[in-house]
Amino acid sequence: MYKVLDVAFSKLIKLLTIFSLLLLAFVVVFIFRESVVFFKEVSVLSFISGRSWNPLLAADNLGIFNIILGTLYVSLVAIILALPIGVGMALLLAGYVEGRVRAIIRGIIDILAGIPSVVYGFIGLLVLVKWFETRLDLSSGESVLAGGILLAVMVLPYVISTCHESMEKAYRRHAPSSQALGVSRSYLLREIVLPESRRAIIAATVLALGRAMGETMAVMMVIGNAPIPPTLLGKCQTIPSLIALEMGMAEVGSLHYHSLFASGLVLMAVLLAINLVFYFVRRSAFMK
Amino acid sequence: MRKMENSRLFKLWMVVSTLIVLISVGFIIGYIVLNGIKSISLDFIISSPKGLPLGSEGGILPAIVGSLLLMLIACGFASFLALATAIYVVFYCQSSQIENIVHIIVQCMAGVPSIVIGLFGYTFLVAKLGLGRSLLSAGLTLGVMVFPFIEVRIEKSLQEFSTAALQSSYALGVSKAYTLFKLVLPQCKEDIVAAITLAGGFAMGATAPIILTGAVIFAPIPSSLSSPVMALPFHLYILTGEGISLEKAYATALVLITLIFAINIISIALTSRRKEVGS
Repeated sequence: MYKVLDVAFSKLIKLLTIFSLLLLAFVVVFIFRESVVFFKEVSVLSFISGRSWNPLLAADNLGIFNIILGTLYVSLVAIILALPIGVGMALLLAGYVEGRVRAIIRGIIDILAGIPSVVYGFIGLLVLVKWFETRLDLSSGESVLAGGILLAVMVLPYVISTCHESMEKAYRRHAPSSQALGVSRSYLLREIVLPESRRAIIAATVLALGRAMGETMAVMMVIGNAPIPPTLLGKCQTIPSLIALEMGMAEVGSLHYHSLFASGLVLMAVLLAINLVFYFVRRSAFMK
Repeated sequence: MRKMENSRLFKLWMVVSTLIVLISVGFIIGYIVLNGIKSISLDFIISSPKGLPLGSEGGILPAIVGSLLLMLIACGFASFLALATAIYVVFYCQSSQIENIVHIIVQCMAGVPSIVIGLFGYTFLVAKLGLGRSLLSAGLTLGVMVFPFIEVRIEKSLQEFSTAALQSSYALGVSKAYTLFKLVLPQCKEDIVAAITLAGGFAMGATAPIILTGAVIFAPIPSSLSSPVMALPFHLYILTGEGISLEKAYATALVLITLIFAINIISIALTSRRKEVGS
């Protein structure tokens, strides 16, 4: 009796696993299917390199070049800001903080990761954007920089935890011998732990890039959503916010509707590639 | 001399970075709590949105209930699949190649942006399966989003289970399924529940997937799986985006992060209890 149940259970587990993995295929296939309709009308190349986005006009006005640039620009600003801060804090956590204090600080970082993106967007709109308008005397504070700063705070927990994991290991490995040699803690961190964590830092960058590019709500609320060539203090548009904003207005089945799926497909393709890179970099970083 | 300088700069860098992070967290929490506490009241929590434009007066009860229901559906759906996948990878999968493939697929799923998952939910669940913009569609879409999140954590917990205990059990001729249900799962129970609650907090805060699949500006407390819902994050977005009421927006944000922290604290408490028992 048990034998039969056993076999049945193992089959059930296998079936459910296959179903879960098929979810990814489902997502890809369904986004792809809706995009194909669009790519029959507009070629992939002219969609990606097209500089104007005006869904009310003819089909050749649907180009997402500026929007792709905007997505990259905001994410890069975020990473440039977040990386030094995240790495610095991860080093301090690995070398100087122990026991209870470390647990508390990690709890605080988890809090940062747990705050929903709308709340970030809300604060960004009321504090950052307003600050830009009053202090920097900009006509509109909604800008690439505002989005970048906000995203930097949002990806910090990912940067810190990815770096911290490998730095802690490196520190533990070398601490006894370096203490015996009388080397200072900061020297050990600077000359050995930091260089040894190179791969983990790369992995963290890749992960943060993926998170930043896919973020919707927080970015949408502070960047102004204008599909123009992005400048640091000017408005811009990103792919996720484009989809979130215009999906409600697009008539089902129209070219505009399908073009939004097409931009989703472009975004997804980039992010799948980024995540594959992350998977392999991270694996090589922790294999050693 | 230069070395001293370097060392100082290095230390300064670490300290400044840490301060920036801690101050950011303090500022964000402080800002929401201080502003929210002024406009929150019992009435706000237990009544429906009122006034013109809608939401400028009254409360957010339907949104609170809606968010909790969405979380339940998402977690139920995702944890069922995640548990099965994790069990398969750790206990049933024989080849390391298949294991690798599963890991890669899960990593890729974690990387699909939430708005694209929302698009998927819209074409597949809302349009193709005809579920409409509803509690069920939105919940399942959120489930797809949190599945990789739960799977990774459950798998890690199962992997840490003592091999000695497993081998003894097998050596005694106990079947795999029996070992799982009587030995492994009871011991990993807290970790598994912690992973699911943590994912619940994540699902509750997500807006992008539900904009297209079921969240609406106003709906009463959902009476069935096929009715549209209000959700806290979406309500917050509408209140700010449309400039309806800043006061209500602060209060909504406070309720939202309080709920999420409560969920996270439950999850942390469960994990630390397990550690104490184990040591």
